[in-house]
Amino acid sequence: MDVIANQLFAGLSMASILLMIALGLAIIYGAMGVINLAHGEFVMLGAYVTWALQTHVGIGILPALPIVFIAVALVGLIVEKAVVQKLYHRPLDTILATWGIGIILQQLVRLGIGAESRFVKGPEILSGNTEIGPLIMSNYRIFVIFFSIAVLFVTWRLMTRTEFGMKLRAVIQNRDISECYGIESKRIFSITFAYGAGLAGIAGALITPLFSTIPTMGTGLVVDAFLVVIVGGLGSLVGSAVAAALIGEATALFSIVINDTLGRIAVLAGIILLIRFRPRGLFPTETRR
Amino acid sequence: MSSKFQFELVALVIFAVVIAFGVPAVMNYDGFELNTFARYLALAIVSMALALSWGVTGLLNLGQAATFGMGSYAMAMHLKLRASSGLPDFMSWNNVSELPLFWVPFNSLAFTLLAGLLIPASIGGLIGIFMFRARIAGVFVAIITLAFLVAFQLLVINQQGLTGGQNGLTGLAQMTLFGWAFDPYSMGFYYLVAGCVTVALAIGVYLTHSKFGLVLRAIREDADRTRFFGYNVANYKTLVFCISAALAGWAGMLYTLVLEFASPTYMGVSFSLAIVIWCAVGGRESVIAAAFGAIVVNMLEGRLSDIFVEGWHLILGVIFVLVVMFMPRGIFGLLVEGAQKLRTVGRARPGHAVEPLSTTPLETNQER
Repeated sequence: MDVIANQLFAGLSMASILLMIALGLAIIYGAMGVINLAHGEFVMLGAYVTWALQTHVGIGILPALPIVFIAVALVGLIVEKAVVQKLYHRPLDTILATWGIGIILQQLVRLGIGAESRFVKGPEILSGNTEIGPLIMSNYRIFVIFFSIAVLFVTWRLMTRTEFGMKLRAVIQNRDISECYGIESKRIFSITFAYGAGLAGIAGALITPLFSTIPTMGTGLVVDAFLVVIVGGLGSLVGSAVAAALIGEATALFSIVINDTLGRIAVLAGIILLIRFRPRGLFPTETRR
Repeated sequence: MSSKFQFELVALVIFAVVIAFGVPAVMNYDGFELNTFARYLALAIVSMALALSWGVTGLLNLGQAATFGMGSYAMAMHLKLRASSGLPDFMSWNNVSELPLFWVPFNSLAFTLLAGLLIPASIGGLIGIFMFRARIAGVFVAIITLAFLVAFQLLVINQQGLTGGQNGLTGLAQMTLFGWAFDPYSMGFYYLVAGCVTVALAIGVYLTHSKFGLVLRAIREDADRTRFFGYNVANYKTLVFCISAALAGWAGMLYTLVLEFASPTYMGVSFSLAIVIWCAVGGRESVIAAAFGAIVVNMLEGRLSDIFVEGWHLILGVIFVLVVMFMPRGIFGLLVEGAQKLRTVGRARPGHAVEPLSTTPLETNQER
């Protein structure tokens, strides 16, 4: 029983990280149909910005979050303006172009900072564990779980309760008609992409104490996060949250029953089956294209 | 016989002559250089296999490396069994006391050669049936094949006692066929690989220009309309997946012979995406162009990575982004457009409207 409870917590912690990475992807994919394979590298950039701020400026993870968000969002904005914007009418090619950008970012970091792994200290206030009976939970992981829920909430508010969100939803529904109403879809897309990139940056900052920071850290994450988006349903925020929780917990529980690798294989097989029978995900959004 | 078919046949003949006579002469019949080039040729086959499914049919298969790896491992298993008396060494390190049942048939060379083609083909077929019967298309094909690739690589690495795990299969024997040992640094071996590439390309060229290829292109342009014409789109897609997988398996077998080992790295996501790069750089619509792309990119990689040891991947990334943005049809597209311009200049008929080339032939295949 103890093992299961602790694994459930580990799964939830994994899910919260996946959710933050997947949210950015989900918005970008939902809004413009762009599969952003450079997303993992945005996560990596966020982690490195956090590392740089901590070692060179002396700012801890929590106060660094806004700076990281803005820095990575700017990179996202540049990428969107320079490359992605030119490819909106060729959705399959964006997979390739963003993957190329991912290579470039990864290599720039490798050449500029080095390939060896970097360490970032977690915040002092959140060190230590909370114990409930046999269940031992690290405070930092609890914080990350709540933070990801907060990010989900903020994103949901942004999408449904602001003028920007309304314009974005209009563009998702029908780009041409929205433009007739005077919505600059190009600008909306740029901002959306930058916001998604910024979220990836924050995710990267928050995982620095849990993962080792290396230039290739994003590659594995992006595949998982992308599966979350697909399973959740394109562009659906709630779907992404549920899918992140499902995949995180399933991976954690399978790894008790079998072993880690086979657990991951089982989850991948489950995802393949799910895409086959529900290609539009668990929570498909109604769109007209 | 259409003019495009003639054009590709001429290109195929030139290609065959160059790799049969030109390349060995330029390389000074040096065994090491020829071995390196044979490696590029093996990769050319897998790039060309991707062109069949991606460029011709519009199915972006990100799992091509998995079928390539199956071929590669099938050959390596046979050579490993020949190299070891009794149990392969890595099995005894992993406390496997008896040869696993699925290893036993690989004692036979004939079985191995068949398995290297048929196992990838049947796996490709199964995935094809699984996806295309449900009319999965567009991005979802890419995602399912990618997820399959990741799962398959994990499985191979995990089953260390059966597959050699992360180390792959090393310490292989040389293949012997009718008493002739394949020395990967010999001229004879180079010609074997060159012959295989030529035959594979001939199959590819024939397929793309047969009626089968015409239906495939129709599916790429508009799957629904093709279905309304009475063609069973799912079967065509599945069949092209099978063929593409078999060709990839073939390439994998040759690759093992060239490198003399098999490694799970060649079932990885980055290798699979590298195949996509070669295909895109060469030109995804033409199998010859795709094969050419694989050779060019790998030669560049061989030369440039000596000069820029650190920066090579950066250069590759930049080239790739530029190709995707400005040359969506690859080198092939540049050639075709150049030839068209020449022709119009030659005709010099003012007012004669040139039929515009569709520069984005692959974007119509969206999921609806």
